Amino acid sequence: MAAKVIEGFYYTQTDEWLKVEDNVGTVGITDYAQDKLGDIVYLEKTEKGKKVKQTETLTAVESVKAASDIYAPISGEVIEVNEKVVEDSSIINKEPYGEGWIAKIKIENADELKNLMGAKEYSEYRKE
Amino acid sequence: MKLIFEKSIKARDGYSLPKDLFDEVDIKSCIPAYAATDAKKALSEVSEVDVIRHFTKLSKFNYGVDDGLYPLGSCTMKYNPKVNEKLASLDNFVCAPPLAPEETVQGCLELMYDLNKLLCEVTGVDQYTMAPASGAHGELTGVLIMRQHFVDHDDKRHKMLVPDSAHGTNPASCTMGGFKMIEVRSNEKGTVDIKQLKDLMDEDTAGLYVTNPNTVGLYDEGIRDIEGIVHGKGGLLYYDGANLNASFGIMRPGDAGFDIVHLNLHKSFSTPHGGGGPGSGVIGVKKALIPYLPTPIVTFDGKKYHLSDVGEKSIGMVRAFWGNFPVLVKTYAWILSMGPDGLGNSSEASIINANYVLAKLKKYYRPAYDRYCGHECVLTGRDYKKYGIKTLDIAKRLMDYGFHPPTIYFPHFEPYAEETIMVEPPESESKEVIDEFIDAMIKISNEAKTNPELLKSAPHNTPIRRTDDVLAAKRPILNYDDELKLKDELKWRAEDINF
Amino acid sequence: MRYIPNTEEQKKGMLKEIGVSSFEDLIESVPQEVRFKRKLNIPEAISEAELEEKIYQIAKKNSDFFLMKPLIGAGAYRHHVPEAEKFLLQREEFWTCYTPYQPELSQGTLQSMFEFQTYIARLTKMDVVIPSIYDGASATAEAALMSFRLTHRNKIIISSTLHPHYRKTVETYIAPHEPEIVELPYKDGLVDIDKLEKLIDAGVASVIVQNPNFFGGIEDLAEICELVHAKGALLINAIAESMSLGVLKAPGEMGADIVAGEAQSFGMELNYGGPYNAYLATRKQFLRQLPGRIVGETVDADGKRVFVMTMRAREQDIRREKATSNICTNHGLNILAANIYLSLMGTEGLYKVSLLNTKAAHYLENLLLKSGKFKKVFHYPFYNEFLLKSKNSVSTLSEKLLKNNFIPPLEISRFYEEEGLKDVLLFAVTEVLSREDLNRVAEILAE
Repeated sequence: MAAKVIEGFYYTQTDEWLKVEDNVGTVGITDYAQDKLGDIVYLEKTEKGKKVKQTETLTAVESVKAASDIYAPISGEVIEVNEKVVEDSSIINKEPYGEGWIAKIKIENADELKNLMGAKEYSEYRKE
Repeated sequence: MKLIFEKSIKARDGYSLPKDLFDEVDIKSCIPAYAATDAKKALSEVSEVDVIRHFTKLSKFNYGVDDGLYPLGSCTMKYNPKVNEKLASLDNFVCAPPLAPEETVQGCLELMYDLNKLLCEVTGVDQYTMAPASGAHGELTGVLIMRQHFVDHDDKRHKMLVPDSAHGTNPASCTMGGFKMIEVRSNEKGTVDIKQLKDLMDEDTAGLYVTNPNTVGLYDEGIRDIEGIVHGKGGLLYYDGANLNASFGIMRPGDAGFDIVHLNLHKSFSTPHGGGGPGSGVIGVKKALIPYLPTPIVTFDGKKYHLSDVGEKSIGMVRAFWGNFPVLVKTYAWILSMGPDGLGNSSEASIINANYVLAKLKKYYRPAYDRYCGHECVLTGRDYKKYGIKTLDIAKRLMDYGFHPPTIYFPHFEPYAEETIMVEPPESESKEVIDEFIDAMIKISNEAKTNPELLKSAPHNTPIRRTDDVLAAKRPILNYDDELKLKDELKWRAEDINF
Repeated sequence: MRYIPNTEEQKKGMLKEIGVSSFEDLIESVPQEVRFKRKLNIPEAISEAELEEKIYQIAKKNSDFFLMKPLIGAGAYRHHVPEAEKFLLQREEFWTCYTPYQPELSQGTLQSMFEFQTYIARLTKMDVVIPSIYDGASATAEAALMSFRLTHRNKIIISSTLHPHYRKTVETYIAPHEPEIVELPYKDGLVDIDKLEKLIDAGVASVIVQNPNFFGGIEDLAEICELVHAKGALLINAIAESMSLGVLKAPGEMGADIVAGEAQSFGMELNYGGPYNAYLATRKQFLRQLPGRIVGETVDADGKRVFVMTMRAREQDIRREKATSNICTNHGLNILAANIYLSLMGTEGLYKVSLLNTKAAHYLENLLLKSGKFKKVFHYPFYNEFLLKSKNSVSTLSEKLLKNNFIPPLEISRFYEEEGLKDVLLFAVTEVLSREDLNRVAEILAE
């Protein structure tokens, strides 16, 4: 069963997605990641104002049988955090690309997008 | 089943105290106002009879080694000899205060001293500390000894190599020791990738953790090369003794070049597991590392035994007092009961058992590696994915056949060790028991194809059905008072579990 | 060999089914250069009867401790362990079973852990309890590491009246972090609060205070906590004598952040120093930084209330190098021991025995002071241990006590080198000493 990917999003090798609008990137984990993790029971709250570099740890997520770090797909400052998924982490399983977004980052350097994959590339990368 | 709190009746009691409670002493003159409290702490109020019945019933929901096979890979759930239990419970041992004057505990000290000699001979090292309380505790002790060695030589190192097949305690211990863990891949044979090891090993690396046979139950043929590479750059080799049961009389870690060895006395040495301990993770070292051992160690001056300070280079202490003494007694008793031939036979019998399981089940459960194994074999449930079956389902169904499941999902490293089922039938398991197990596994393999629902909804014949672990993590209720706070929201079935 | 069922013939048959001609084929991957080729130089196997005799002889080289009354504590206390408890512990389903990873076959172990977590939460008045770290010393060390993780600070203040072994263990565990360690001196036998006020600052992760302290002293934990919290640091309350929780105000009520408690007094025998069992109790918000196993409540497929190990993503098998600790096997059976003990004692019994401990201790101190052969060193309030300076030689005193079947108190100079603590003894009194015993002790020491 192929995991879902969304056209137009960027993807990392560590299974995060990035949606870019103006100079702001919304971050979440992919359908492949949520499936691998299983039912997510806890999401560590990302701090607003936190500055991250591309590939640095942004936050962490926990399921019953696994725990995983979530890495920043792009460098910048965290300007918004999705409180809803901190309260109910199951949303990430249900809608990993929509309501299950985790944080919004103000993009520092748009050049870094070069380091990310597109939908097709990521699909190939994660083909079962 | 009802909790002890739910069985409490006001004013009921189960204690026995002397009549004389020193009533003439005024408690207010003993305890200052800042620490005094009027309220008694609420425990439970039950009689001794209630307590006996409560825990007797609880015990029947458990499954012990005396009930049957416990094929847990990496745990060596072998038979716990009963005479050893008796000897560890002798009053002169049991009632000995740890700080009693040395002349009153010469028996304890003599036993610890003799045990040290035996363990050194069995594993090929020079001195053991009996302090660590578990394997992981031993690993921490070992990692701190390694750190101290480099600090003492003015050679600060920051990295530690750990195979991807390693037990989770290995990387966790590295971190606790202040090292950055670097993973070494396993090759297609399941053993350490020598080429990658050579690339990774440098003068900033303290050393390498190895379990041999490794966690997939395979002996590492490259062990001499590994030793050469690690020592060649001034590193130290650490032996995780969880799998020692495959080595008695075959290979001694000291001879293979290991500098530090930890043993799990509650595994290879037959001491009982107690529902999660106590065990003991004694650490043995080669001569050069003795100055760094935790303090004290037992010495003999020709006449008397002493607890002697290791010296100023010691890493300090990793627990209060000296060790898990009754576990040491049982280990000592077991070694004396087995003798050199018995130890060799343990390894031989357990290795034959594991390979027998592998041979008989490999066409039903694809092995992670198709080669002879040590004392445990690693099968996988990979081929059942297409029926919608996870390895977890196979394990839960096995319980319906009266067996405790083997270790599942460990070890886990791609691409071979996935959906793993690690089976270890120690030497105390007979061929008939193993045949029954094999039989059950074959039946389950058929059920997976013809009636997968049976597995997915398993277990059916156990005291309780499959548990909702997600709910437990999402809505933590970690004591009875948490439950009381949520009482109205919860909809438990109020019945007692009847087994 | 009676522990190895398969006969030579059976083994031969199994080898055949495996498809090899000899056992050697199975281990051919072990290189010849590391093969152990001689016979192990250990004694030949002895029979069960010979084994019993041998170990009995070794045990005889110890004093007959069962009939000796100890006046020594210092982190290991002789309390009465009820027979009903010992009987229950030996059930094979508790004694020989494994860690409860498969809850469907371990409800006995899991429910018992849950009950124990409840007892300790109530005794300490803290929100969450980890029921098992190896002992008080390692638990205190884990608490110290936890405080570094929670505060992101690297300085720690350690009371000099923390049990010397606990202190050494903390220092050993935290060494890789290279923290700044500040010693908090004592004054008149208790934590020097004025000094603490000067030492505490915004760089301190935590302050470790033992209560009752190593000298038996009862600290004003609430006052200490206020000072500590004012600088955003955490208060770690180490407890070596958990019996004190029966009558003293709970650490949770006084502001403690993490309680590292040795539970040995709750039904565990002395066993020459271990195994014991310690609990870590803390506030809800620190839960995820706790090391070790915890049991939670949930439902099974039939909707029944059941118990499982939970919050496992903190543990080594899942988190590996990022785990909160490396702890795996703990002291599971001792959790059960403590649980049964507390169930037998109950609300009334624990209160009474806890009270008895301190009253008997004060009774003895009084007698000894009256004899004129001892004098007080400090004037602190104490639980069941106290310091007294002896006017006579300490070694003759110890000899006399041993001759009369009493285990002598600890010579405090064994751990503290101060001039003022020479010839000072740390007496411990528990409920195993009767009034007659205490009168006799005073008599012997007054000679």
